[in-house]
Amino acid sequence: MKKKTGVLPWLFSAMVVIFGVHVATAAEPGATAGAGQVVAGTMTAPTIIIDKTEINNGGVIKVSGQAPAGKPVFLEVWAVEHMVRANRFDSDIDKDSGKRPYIFYSTSEMPAYYKTFVPKELQPKIDAAKKEGKKWSYSALLKDLGADIAYSIPAKAKVEHYQSTLMASVIGSRGDLLPAMDEKETRKRSMQLVKARFQSIDKVVAAAVDVKPDGSYTADIKISDGLAPGKYKIVAVVDKKVKSEAATFENKISFPTMYLSNAGTSMNLIYPFVLSLAVSIFGVLMGAGGGFIMNPLLLALFPVLPHTIVAGTVTPTVLFSQGSGIFNYSKIKFISWKLGSGIGCAMLLGAFIGPKLTEMITLDQFKFAFGWILLILAALMLWQTTPGYMAKNKKEQSILKEFKKRAEETAKGKN
Amino acid sequence: MKVDFWGQEFEVNMVVGCIGGFLIAVLSSMFGFGGGPFMVPLMTVALRLPMYLVVGSSLLAIFFSTTVSTMRHYQFGNFDLIFFLAMFPAALLGGYIGPQIAKRVSPLVVKRVACCGLVVLALNLLGVY
Repeated sequence: MKKKTGVLPWLFSAMVVIFGVHVATAAEPGATAGAGQVVAGTMTAPTIIIDKTEINNGGVIKVSGQAPAGKPVFLEVWAVEHMVRANRFDSDIDKDSGKRPYIFYSTSEMPAYYKTFVPKELQPKIDAAKKEGKKWSYSALLKDLGADIAYSIPAKAKVEHYQSTLMASVIGSRGDLLPAMDEKETRKRSMQLVKARFQSIDKVVAAAVDVKPDGSYTADIKISDGLAPGKYKIVAVVDKKVKSEAATFENKISFPTMYLSNAGTSMNLIYPFVLSLAVSIFGVLMGAGGGFIMNPLLLALFPVLPHTIVAGTVTPTVLFSQGSGIFNYSKIKFISWKLGSGIGCAMLLGAFIGPKLTEMITLDQFKFAFGWILLILAALMLWQTTPGYMAKNKKEQSILKEFKKRAEETAKGKN
Repeated sequence: MKVDFWGQEFEVNMVVGCIGGFLIAVLSSMFGFGGGPFMVPLMTVALRLPMYLVVGSSLLAIFFSTTVSTMRHYQFGNFDLIFFLAMFPAALLGGYIGPQIAKRVSPLVVKRVACCGLVVLALNLLGVY
């Protein structure tokens, strides 16, 4: 494993050198944005000027500049300092072979923010794509808008892909690492990962650039709150090789808003604190861990959080309340270790597979399945409020209390 | 399997218990909840065990699965430390405040409120509204 990953960065950097030469020169620091330069043939590279270099947890940046007349101008904006993971499990039937590929794509180099701003006239095309609902295709949309010429940053991400099998999924592995993809394939797959990461059309494209007939352009770039802090770059693109130099601005955030590096978003930490407090109190009252309510609430209230992070971070929170519960019961010897660990072993296997599945499914599948689980749980809760159950439960509870009392006394007697 | 508990002996059908436990573990680790509300009915209804045996033992069984699932989530980079630190103290605090309020409210009301809340959340996740 170590050996393989040792080779990949080299392959990747070779790829970057071949593919990204012009971008690399454009991103050279120190050069003041604004001076146009002749890059390809007769076409002059656009200029770019931004009105401020700093925003505070989101804001509007006014971009203006001069591009060759009669050409659409695209603005590629991305976060430079923070990268996040993006995963996609390809199980769609391949049109040519009719088989399901079961390939797992993963990158850890997706910019935490990536968006393409297109000319305002293209708004109808974006609206049309939105009508397709959740099945929209990022690559088709970019092509349709003509914005694929401006797609360069995620295409340079290192994308690993694994051949999964049913067996591999059962033991919870990603499958076999396949050899690195070529530049074209990486570009294609990275587009799918952009969609997997950012989910909605509004997050990756917006029609905001106002291009005048003489080629001058202006745009209001809206950076919403809750995004990654640090430096962002904007490049104006009119053709594959005709780009402006990168203009840089910084998104600042301050406590209690903090950047969640694995989630790729920043967030006011007071919200999850208050939410967690309320949910855990309620959890104690209804006799269930807070995870059931916490997860869907977080998903519903903070759509910026990826579902994998929500599931992966709430789980350890639940762990501690369980641990203290076990400790309390074990003090009075109120646990059957044999029964608990017997079923616990079967649950170990299940828990080994589960997190793997979280990673493989999309947010929509996650929501769909979770929605049904909650409905079942609600039905269970309702059943527990029926008179028949209540009567039985009352008897059970009194027996429980009696046994607990006896156990407590025994425990005390020993001390 | 036979289980001794406070002088009484119970016959536990481990096949049902293990299959049920396995499925609950997959779901709970996948979606990041504990699994208690499913585990308790499984053990009381499907395995016909009394409540006083179930309360502690189901917690232990769930603890196994939550530990492993935490490790796996961490391994996959799904764990966010800052986010965790924002929620964890609140959860501890809630664990102290909760039992004190619990004496004053009827469990029936709580369960009915929970029931409505869950349906609302479920419909939200399913995209009904």
